[in-house]
Amino acid sequence: MNPRPAPLRRARPAIAIAGLLLLAGCSNKYYVSCAGCRVAPPPAPVSYVVLIPSPDGSIGAVAVKGDKGEQFLNKAGQAGTLEGQPFQVDDKKIEQDFGAARTALPQVPVRYQLAFKDGATLTAESEATLPEIVAEAKKRPAVDVTIIGHTDTLQSFEYNDKLGLKRATKVADSLRAKGLVANSLSVESYGERQLLVQTPDNTFEPRNRRVEISVR
Amino acid sequence: MQRIPAALILALAAGHVLAADPAIGYVKSVSGDAFVTTAGAKAKAQVGSPVQQGSLLETGKNGTMGVTFKDETMVSFGPNTSFTVTDYVYAPAEGKLKFGSKLAKGSLNYVSGAIEKMKPDAVTVGTPTGTIGVRGTQFLLKVEE
Repeated sequence: MNPRPAPLRRARPAIAIAGLLLLAGCSNKYYVSCAGCRVAPPPAPVSYVVLIPSPDGSIGAVAVKGDKGEQFLNKAGQAGTLEGQPFQVDDKKIEQDFGAARTALPQVPVRYQLAFKDGATLTAESEATLPEIVAEAKKRPAVDVTIIGHTDTLQSFEYNDKLGLKRATKVADSLRAKGLVANSLSVESYGERQLLVQTPDNTFEPRNRRVEISVR
Repeated sequence: MQRIPAALILALAAGHVLAADPAIGYVKSVSGDAFVTTAGAKAKAQVGSPVQQGSLLETGKNGTMGVTFKDETMVSFGPNTSFTVTDYVYAPAEGKLKFGSKLAKGSLNYVSGAIEKMKPDAVTVGTPTGTIGVRGTQFLLKVEE
């Protein structure tokens, strides 16, 4: 047996420890320029924002304004510190930092649009959608429903506010009759204030005669 | 006719009288310790708890919570989080739209809703070091103390 290698082997950890001790007092900058250094510095906690695809698959953007600059993020996975500087983040860190928040995300709300034959009578097709809306509501915890009535620009502004409310109320009654029970149910009228198709005043436009329902 | 009278709104809150300050959203998911503080009154969050303008939403060290707002914005929180709804206006028929909030600490997942779609400059999330302008998207935000 050769007795020599043993002290050498022991020497390596000793050098590494000496290196660690030396580095312990150094700034992060020193770590970056330390070529032979095998010990990664502990990552400093960073406040940051990361863009991810929306539930519908689209990618939007966020503008991050901080005291060190401004970042415009518009690519999936792109991140920035809250001071306004670029930041790199991998899936593992995203899961570690945001796994709990992601799990708590509510179900994506669903919208329906119902059409009217005349007055406050739904088209046959829209009438047939009602059971589907009730079924969707039943799948959700403490479901909130907003029912908004709209009109075209025929008739007066005041008349249309009332007509919109009549449409929304009728739809609400039908949904309740079909078993809708909501934590919160809001029945509103926008009258002719939010046209789906822009028209001049006093214009017949069936596409504007509608009720919009948000199930959350 | 472009006269703008007061909006005709009939809100039928199931089972209770319409409050002067109506709910702008509701808690949809909770685990562990989570609280909603509105007008100084702190209550343990439950599925269905109302959230109002000015509400402080908090989670404890094992807590999570998810909230859906009236305009379909969804925000969910990880543990040790403190989030305030500073400004919420959703009146599309009058063109009045705003959603301002602040994350003091913790983590969140944000999915923007109708307010952002109709008025992209109206949605912001403040942090201790800056501001995030939301332009129709989903993002994750973490504030270290």
